Amino acid sequence: MPQTLKEVDVVVIGVGFAGSILAKELAASGLKVVGLERGHSRHSVPDFQAPAIHDELKYSIRKGMMQDVTREAMTFRNHYREVALPMRQWEAFLPGTGLGGCGVHWNGQSWRYHEEEFIYKTHIEQRYGKKILDPDLRIQDWGVTYQELEPYYDRFEYLLGVCGKAGNLNGKIEAGGNPLEAPRSREYPNPPMKEQYSGALFRKAASELGYHPFLQPSANSTRPYTNPEGLTLNPCVYCGFCERYGCEHFAKASPQTVILPVLMKNPNFELRTESQVLRINLDSTGKKATGVSYMDAHGREFEQPASLVLLTAFALNDVRMLLLSGIGKPYEPTTETGVVGRNYAYQTQSYVPTFLGEDVHLNSYMAGGASGTVIDDFSVDNFDHSSLGFIGGCYVLCGSTNARPVEFHPTPPGTPRWGRKWKDAVRQHYNHTAIFNLSGTSTSMRGNYLDLDPTYRDAWGLPLLRITFDFPDNDVRMSRFVTHKASEIARQMGAKIVVDSPRTGPFTTTSYQSTHNTGGAVIGADPSTSVVNRYCQSWDVPNVFVVGACNYPQNSSYNPTLTLGALIYWTADALKTRYLKRPGPLV
Amino acid sequence: MTKIHSTVRVKSVLSIAVVFVAVIMVASYLGAQTTIPNKSISNESQMAVRIVAEGTTRGVVACSRCHGFDGASDGSGAFPRLDGQSAQYLADQLRRFASGDRQNALMQPIARALKDDEINAVSQYYASVHAVPIPSRPVPAQLRDRGRQVAEVGDLSVRVQACESCHGPNGEGEPVSGVPYLGGQYSHYITVQIRMFRQGYRKSQQMIVPAHNLSEQDITAVAAYFEQASAPAVK
Repeated sequence: MPQTLKEVDVVVIGVGFAGSILAKELAASGLKVVGLERGHSRHSVPDFQAPAIHDELKYSIRKGMMQDVTREAMTFRNHYREVALPMRQWEAFLPGTGLGGCGVHWNGQSWRYHEEEFIYKTHIEQRYGKKILDPDLRIQDWGVTYQELEPYYDRFEYLLGVCGKAGNLNGKIEAGGNPLEAPRSREYPNPPMKEQYSGALFRKAASELGYHPFLQPSANSTRPYTNPEGLTLNPCVYCGFCERYGCEHFAKASPQTVILPVLMKNPNFELRTESQVLRINLDSTGKKATGVSYMDAHGREFEQPASLVLLTAFALNDVRMLLLSGIGKPYEPTTETGVVGRNYAYQTQSYVPTFLGEDVHLNSYMAGGASGTVIDDFSVDNFDHSSLGFIGGCYVLCGSTNARPVEFHPTPPGTPRWGRKWKDAVRQHYNHTAIFNLSGTSTSMRGNYLDLDPTYRDAWGLPLLRITFDFPDNDVRMSRFVTHKASEIARQMGAKIVVDSPRTGPFTTTSYQSTHNTGGAVIGADPSTSVVNRYCQSWDVPNVFVVGACNYPQNSSYNPTLTLGALIYWTADALKTRYLKRPGPLV
Repeated sequence: MTKIHSTVRVKSVLSIAVVFVAVIMVASYLGAQTTIPNKSISNESQMAVRIVAEGTTRGVVACSRCHGFDGASDGSGAFPRLDGQSAQYLADQLRRFASGDRQNALMQPIARALKDDEINAVSQYYASVHAVPIPSRPVPAQLRDRGRQVAEVGDLSVRVQACESCHGPNGEGEPVSGVPYLGGQYSHYITVQIRMFRQGYRKSQQMIVPAHNLSEQDITAVAAYFEQASAPAVK
């Protein structure tokens, strides 16, 4: 018999970036907030200290910071005609768990979206006409504009201490930054990362070909920095153990370093870890949440009543929670009815391994998580697609985030996969190979969606999330085009071997790409094609807000975190200045 | 007759023994003072030995005057142990003294008078010598344990990461990247240097926050811990 606890004002499901920031803002406003995190508590000291944290086998290979697949997996299929099977091992994407969420083990790559992306459908149809869109593509406008979000991008960037150089300061193009970026109201809080040798060679070649290289913005600090919450970051030491690892130096912007200490000091906030939320409970009308049910580490079930529920458990988990709780109509792809699970997208990554010759020593192991020199000339809609027959694009990044001994063994095509010849090839190419990373748009498609699996369940008896996804042909064509352009830059660098490796279908879960899963609880102005309104408030249950990359109607070229940060602060503002004054639908 | 002979033999054996022991002592003393790696002596090494022993005509005081031939100096902690220190680090520090980036009334004029190749040479010299370790002072167990805690784990309450995150297990340093060893370094020297970072006499983006956040007591503790942590081997 579940025990009913004393009512609180707010329950936050998942204490990562979104959960921590929203909890802090509301607790500071005087509300009683409970944060429920299914994973363990963890802190920079002692949990992220070296040398123990630099355990590649534990964290990179065995996914030490990720969701436990033996208790809570997901099922996958390419197409809705197929039967989905459980993923027994994370490879393509790596859902995190634990206090701080993905903010602990992310790379710190910090990008704003372009202005037109928030009105993507309107913009594309205006620029190219509807004919450029393959019939099954489903791009949408967000219902909120870049201009509205700009001050919140700024606030999140200053919270994190993002390191970069402005390229467009209030409309004025600045040298040293990205001339193609959306206008920003002020300079970055910290200067850019150091340029790696491979990046410098890329810069020269890209400039010679007429592109506009700049240093990738980074949330790993480049100098001691005290953020507006009074918390100080240390500079990154380029240790090469960023993605998949916690940072021992207080250099990576994570909830632990930029906000949690302030949140934990507020007596209005209570953190409960190892608390697995089972569902959001609704009243008999189905239009009001009464709180959540969760299970603790001992297997005891609790009901936590609350007036307001914030769902901030990571994109995929958010959608699953809505489905498990019966909030919103589940999407069905053949009839195109329903909204929850609709417009699921991913990222279209490709690579160009570039062997520069044995006299070019790259020392790629000296790397921060967001190290790299990049061009934006082929991202999203930054180039004219009129005669190309596809939409979208990629940024082209050259640099390294690591050259770790287990994971990094670049060898040219045709090298045997083991034995003497393989070892010789690794020795010959390890310190002389740069790998271009192309991060591409992922266009939403009718048949790509999320729902609940009919067969497989988690350790609590609840249906797993089922992912139905494949790359739209549009994105495959896009990848081929931009990867080819990137290969030209590699040849301009004087490379001895260039491996043009565009993304081709089908999507598989068996090789790593990125954890940029988006959509399924899309933001929008139209309730028939979105799950939340422009304030991330559920159309169906007004006292439930959902904030995560699940809100994105399609995925951009860029890493999602900074845009999520803008949405988080935008939602916090809506809650404090509108919702709390008059609870109810804000739109 | 036999008695006199045996007496004489004992005496001469004794005096030979005394001389022998004296020779051994002098030899080992010399050996300890001037262990140079077993390679053919290059021009750079010759230059280094000259500067360490005699200084230069441009006003560089002989390094050995304060640092000794073996880099161990006098054990007071007024001068750091240099033996086996990262050559990269030593050269970098000499350049910082020369530029004024690192403030020190004694070292700045010396460093300014050193030429670039001389900096490299003396740095290589001290990187390659190996001193006989001077027994460290006894440290209260509680202080050493607190020092180990901060050195190996850090302190969340003041947001300081483990010293060994950069300085390596037992504070052995990372010679190639120029991270100095702390293991076996004089505790007094470590204590003063942390204060130098805090007050800005030494500039380091990595050290400024830990130097600022650590309490006086914890600085003493980590310094005490590192002095008695195992000294690095010559690389």
